[in-house]
Amino acid sequence: MGKKFVVPFGSQHVALPEPIRFVFTTENEIIRNVAVDFGYVHRGIEKACMSKFKYTQVPYVVARVCGLCSISHASGYCLAIETLMDIEVPKRAVYLRIIAHELDRIHSHLFAVSHLCEVAGYENLFMRVMRDRELVMECLEIFTGNRVQYDFVTIGGVNRDLTKEVYEELKPRLEELEKRLLQLKEIFEKDYTLQMRWKGAGVITKEMAQKYNAVGPIARASGLATDCRVEFGYFPYEELGYRMVLYHEGDIWARNMVRVDESLVSIEVVKNAMDNLPKGEINVRVRGNPNGEALVRWEAPRGELLYYVKGNGKPVLERLRIKTPTFSVIPVMKELYYNQPYALVPDITISFDPCLSCTAR
Amino acid sequence: MKNFQEEKITPDQLREKIKSFYKEDEWHFITINGTDTGKSIEVKYFFAKYGKKEPVYALSLEIDYDQTLPSITDLIPSAWIAEEELYDLLGVKVEKAKGGIFLEPDSPKAPLRKSFQPKQK
Repeated sequence: MGKKFVVPFGSQHVALPEPIRFVFTTENEIIRNVAVDFGYVHRGIEKACMSKFKYTQVPYVVARVCGLCSISHASGYCLAIETLMDIEVPKRAVYLRIIAHELDRIHSHLFAVSHLCEVAGYENLFMRVMRDRELVMECLEIFTGNRVQYDFVTIGGVNRDLTKEVYEELKPRLEELEKRLLQLKEIFEKDYTLQMRWKGAGVITKEMAQKYNAVGPIARASGLATDCRVEFGYFPYEELGYRMVLYHEGDIWARNMVRVDESLVSIEVVKNAMDNLPKGEINVRVRGNPNGEALVRWEAPRGELLYYVKGNGKPVLERLRIKTPTFSVIPVMKELYYNQPYALVPDITISFDPCLSCTAR
Repeated sequence: MKNFQEEKITPDQLREKIKSFYKEDEWHFITINGTDTGKSIEVKYFFAKYGKKEPVYALSLEIDYDQTLPSITDLIPSAWIAEEELYDLLGVKVEKAKGGIFLEPDSPKAPLRKSFQPKQK
């Protein structure tokens, strides 16, 4: 039996893009206990949306919950309000939302993939993935007008149409990105060092994923078939070539591969949506104030995002609740650390692609 | 238009109700939501079925501000995070919840209560 050491990890650490603090108790470099704290960036966004802002302003507030999945927050909220107020969004706007949402998923996934390469010591591969990610960042900027905070989705539809010029800018970039992603996939499938480091490391079994209610790519990498795009069915994904990506290994490598494969599926969905864009309006006018309750389960890049809204017939909501994907995976992440070597902590942590700004709100 | 299925229960019935239907391989526990109604706290437990296009199922109960809510972490291990959030942001006393995860010691207490008004600049 070795001597026990307490090792703090975070709140600021080179491997962490955002602040979270773990306190690991280790024995011979094996983790025996862990405590977690993640409330460093609580900004009171829910309170602000229930006290300061009108419900029509809220899409632009909740988009600031997270930089990487801002479109998911705005879309989840707008869909919840549209459900509550019985607003029918034009089909063209639905397709445009899908395009923006899937482009956002690609850039978020590639961000996670690049960071995982970085913590594995592959600086060059990190730079390469970030360079390829620029293609999708350009697509988002051309399509929505902004690189990160798009403010593209609004209650009743979207703020911007897809013109012929934009279509012609997007199409070659998507083709190029697809080619580069296939090359990247080959690297992840064949690279000896990455396989040695990631395969069989940080394994979450399907049973464990179910027990701790894992969501998104974390669940799907463990063979747990759950995706709000299927289960909540908010958009017609089936008609655009969506298919669920499932891996069964449950390790760091599988979590990375789910993101790479899902990015390829998203490219296909975006191309199909652009080629089959219905004609018509891109938004409808919204009148009145919300009264009653509704919720939406939205598949953000990191997994299930819940928006619950409660209105009382006034312009300011009675309750807005945001449950983010990282909120749901912290319990399984905490459990996973037990009996893992401390040296694997950066890789395991980043393989979850944690977003603490989302979680603390 | 409410788009989820809701069942009203009392706090005493919570644990038995969850025991009666919850199976890990069938049900996905989404989260717990608390709302300050001005008279009490309304608490909802949200669940969804894996792989099924069915409405979300919610167990709904009301508790007084000073009442203690039973913990469900022995039935659903991942629920600790939602219980901690209820404790921190709404000041709901939940068995086993210690607080201090979502807010720092010098943060306002229970900011999602109606009685808490943010300072206007």
